[in-house]
Amino acid sequence: MSGREILFEHVLEPGTGKAIELLAGQILRIEQVAGGQCVDFNCFNLHDYKEYMHCGRTRTVHGFNPSKGTFLWSQPPRERALVYILEDTYGRNDVLFPRCSAYLYESAYGFSDHTNCNDIQAEAQREYGLTPDDVHDSFNLFMCTEVTPDGAATITRQTSKAGDHVDLLALVDLLAIPNVCGADIMRTSNFALKPVRLTVFAATEADLAAVPPTPILKSQRTPKDFKVPAIKATRELVRDPAYVPAFTNVPLGETVIEVDLDEAEAAAFEALRLGLYGDDEGAALRDIVFSWWEERFMKASSGAPAIGDR
Amino acid sequence: MTRRTIALALNDQQLELLDRTVARGLAPDRVALVRLALREMAEKRAASAETAP
Repeated sequence: MSGREILFEHVLEPGTGKAIELLAGQILRIEQVAGGQCVDFNCFNLHDYKEYMHCGRTRTVHGFNPSKGTFLWSQPPRERALVYILEDTYGRNDVLFPRCSAYLYESAYGFSDHTNCNDIQAEAQREYGLTPDDVHDSFNLFMCTEVTPDGAATITRQTSKAGDHVDLLALVDLLAIPNVCGADIMRTSNFALKPVRLTVFAATEADLAAVPPTPILKSQRTPKDFKVPAIKATRELVRDPAYVPAFTNVPLGETVIEVDLDEAEAAAFEALRLGLYGDDEGAALRDIVFSWWEERFMKASSGAPAIGDR
Repeated sequence: MTRRTIALALNDQQLELLDRTVARGLAPDRVALVRLALREMAEKRAASAETAP
């Protein structure tokens, strides 16, 4: 989009990554230079690194291939949108596979040292004092993956071209860390490593207006809501003798409702009940009731709640 | 098919969801809501069976 002010430009060479302070309202463009290159992306809340992009949450809401018009979410119990994907000219990304790691290349290929996304991320974020343990699963841009009918996850070659790009709009202040995926002996980037161009823009009013609203809910908790708000500073795990469990809504009581069904309803029940529950009619009816509720009131066809279904 | 009675065990959270749904005005009480769910699911399945290729 024209009219955007360029704030930063950088070319990521193969084997490298870059930690970038990406403030709310700024756009990080990740762009193919030669084409065919997978890019791993992580991000943290710039003011609280314990909040970070969470592939599981993102996958639940947007599926395996988040693209233009979707969000990258932080982990429970934070669960807020950190990034909006404003543009995606290629349209193939992945939140199914983890970042590749040194172990992969040693165990499968015999390398004692090899470029890998986990170590590249760790080295890039070290600039901000983060440790290798702080690397988390990545949003894998330009990575083509599939789930086969038997449930296996596979990687395929990609056809992205020079100039293909993804524009990530920060919704909060972030430390954003893209890296050139280190997999040169896998099909992920068509068996070659290529540079990637990074550009940070200031978003325009039109960019910001394109972001759909997301809910602000009581359940989106921050450290001020935590029973242990401080970050643990020692590695050893030691039991707190004063600990008293305080699980939500526990103990859960149970109530039995007698449901009288007329002949038509009894027939419907027989037609709908799942064999999964055997002779347990109550369990079968409970399944029908809450399946009905999902279909009646939730937008997500997967049965997994999405952004805000109420 | 004869009339029958089914014992539906629900925990407090499940009951709360049903009660909030009743409060929306979909049914006068919990049992009526359960029966409504059953009828609507049966109608929906029947409709999808009719339109299936």
